[in-house]
Amino acid sequence: MIKNPIITARDVNVFYGQKQALNGITLDVPRNKVTSLIGPSGCGKSTFLRSINRMNDLVDICRVEGEIKIEGKNIYDKDVDVVALRAHVGMVFQKPNPFPKSIFDNVIYGPKIHGMVKSKSDAEEIVEQSLRRAGLWKEVADRLNEPGTGLSGGQQQRLCIARAIAVKPSIILMDEPASALDPIATAVIEELIDELRQKYTIIIVTHSMQQAARVSQRTAFFHMGDLVEAGATKELFTSPQDERTQNYISGRIG
Amino acid sequence: MSDLFTSAEKHLKSRHRSESRFRWMGRLAIGFSLGFLAIMLFSIFMLGKGALSRAEIALPVDLTAETVDQSDIEATSFSKLVRNTLFETFPEVTDRGERRRLLGVVSADAQYELKRQVLANPELLGQVQTIWFTASDDIDLYAKGEVDVTLPEDQRRLKDLELGWLNQLEVNGQLRSVFNKAFFTSGDSREPELAGILSALIGSIFSLMVCFALSFPLGIMAAIYLEEFAKKSRWSDFIEVNINNLAAVPSIVFGLLGLSIFLGVFGLPRSSPLVGGMVLALMTLPTIIIASRASLRSVPSSIREAALGMGATQVQSTFHHVMPLAMPGMLTGSIVGMARALGETAPLLMIGMVAFIVDVPQGFTDAATSLPVQVFLWADSPERSFLEKTSAAILVLLGLLIVMNIAAIVLRKKFERRY
Repeated sequence: MIKNPIITARDVNVFYGQKQALNGITLDVPRNKVTSLIGPSGCGKSTFLRSINRMNDLVDICRVEGEIKIEGKNIYDKDVDVVALRAHVGMVFQKPNPFPKSIFDNVIYGPKIHGMVKSKSDAEEIVEQSLRRAGLWKEVADRLNEPGTGLSGGQQQRLCIARAIAVKPSIILMDEPASALDPIATAVIEELIDELRQKYTIIIVTHSMQQAARVSQRTAFFHMGDLVEAGATKELFTSPQDERTQNYISGRIG
Repeated sequence: MSDLFTSAEKHLKSRHRSESRFRWMGRLAIGFSLGFLAIMLFSIFMLGKGALSRAEIALPVDLTAETVDQSDIEATSFSKLVRNTLFETFPEVTDRGERRRLLGVVSADAQYELKRQVLANPELLGQVQTIWFTASDDIDLYAKGEVDVTLPEDQRRLKDLELGWLNQLEVNGQLRSVFNKAFFTSGDSREPELAGILSALIGSIFSLMVCFALSFPLGIMAAIYLEEFAKKSRWSDFIEVNINNLAAVPSIVFGLLGLSIFLGVFGLPRSSPLVGGMVLALMTLPTIIIASRASLRSVPSSIREAALGMGATQVQSTFHHVMPLAMPGMLTGSIVGMARALGETAPLLMIGMVAFIVDVPQGFTDAATSLPVQVFLWADSPERSFLEKTSAAILVLLGLLIVMNIAAIVLRKKFERRY
């Protein structure tokens, strides 16, 4: 269906203790496109997102079955190192969460722990490049030593994006990245997402169908742990195949 | 419109009344506790300030060649010298019993004081010198005005005879009150006028150093492991319950443990700050673990997610991001635990730190006592002069506590970061 997908999920089941949160999800994610995951609260879209970089490992009672392959490698194989995986698959969270350190330190932290920084000029270059890509350079260039927590909400979120791309991932997961922001900051982030897809594959979880329609090329609709429908965003919103999708996008459920 | 605001007026009034009642009750409670604190501090200070001064008596000592062998000072009997000086100063005293009372005017240490002075300043030799001697505790109390001379003679320790001598000394300017440096520079003594706090203070500081060096790293490591790394299981619940129980175990039980394990099995030196600190560390450990875990829990999980999401390992996330944020709380918890350890007596009694220690401990394995134990020992002594020593020792203890709390605040301010 999709040529040369970067992520292929096959029959993914996720359990929290006895409770099953995802029922046999099978989904392909295209390269260098924005894929949005939509659905009502508790439908499992965030759970699926967190399965892609194994953030679910942090939950003691969480168990994942099935396989998720990135570039053909099942990330739940025994020989996969989560640290390397997460360097490859960056993540941006719902609430902006910069470290309580300087803007510079926020961006350089990832490259540092992954041993990508050889010299001071290296570090400066990585920081500038990452901040430029995140569209934040102009605003913070003269105050890189100020705390990242002193920025506005929208700036903080772009700092988090800069921090994520500083480790040169190929995939960026975004968990409702604009839900804590005002409409103007949201618009800036959406624009940024559109630019970023040139270099990165982006998967974004969103509550807002308008946002999904604006930023993504493909959309997957989740409902009660099932992947109901996935397809090109335009088609999914204009001619949904499933009744539940139709009900959701027309505002009858969710 | 006005109806809207007046209809509930009656009910509103009683609500406001109950609110102001509560506020006043709160203020009253705070006022009471502060008042009692102030009364306590004031009374301790008033009782203890006497220990800061001591009475001295000047006596003309004959240091000519007739009494002191200039070539061999050590061979001289300084006790005889002091005795003769006293008898010559009060030649009218001839009765044996009275003479013995006269000798009790100066401290038992007088002969050594004289010897020390002569050895330190050999130029004193060869003539009659006026030397200041520490007065005995009863004289000291008299000099501080704490002896009620209006009482019938048989109800006071100082008899009319001694009062007469004192009167004579006072008139001749041979009685003075000086700052009691010895209280801070010497160890315990059976003679109240000579007893000092230093050995107990050093003992306490050594014990706390051992206690901190053991309990702080162990405590925060245990807390970090339990909070950040250990999987929740029946075992972790079991451990958590037991740590909470340990925090509630009476401290004397830890003393018994120290007695049987550290002294009995390991054979570590009895009465030493090393063992004292180890016992106190056992006692402080649960407090530090509980406080540190609470502090770690209060670090927002978004920080952990951010670090782990970047590909940091669990250890990197914990030590680069979570621990620095939790540090102020951990430090505060530790200092609270240490402050409790500082005031602890019972476990130290069990391991022999209740001994009568004259020498200032030089190391962690020397016999020592601690401040609260010293307070306890002095409070137990019959001599009235120990009363002011007790209070002064309590003041030193409180002073040390205040220093520790200030250190906690300074450290907290230094490490505190917004997030």
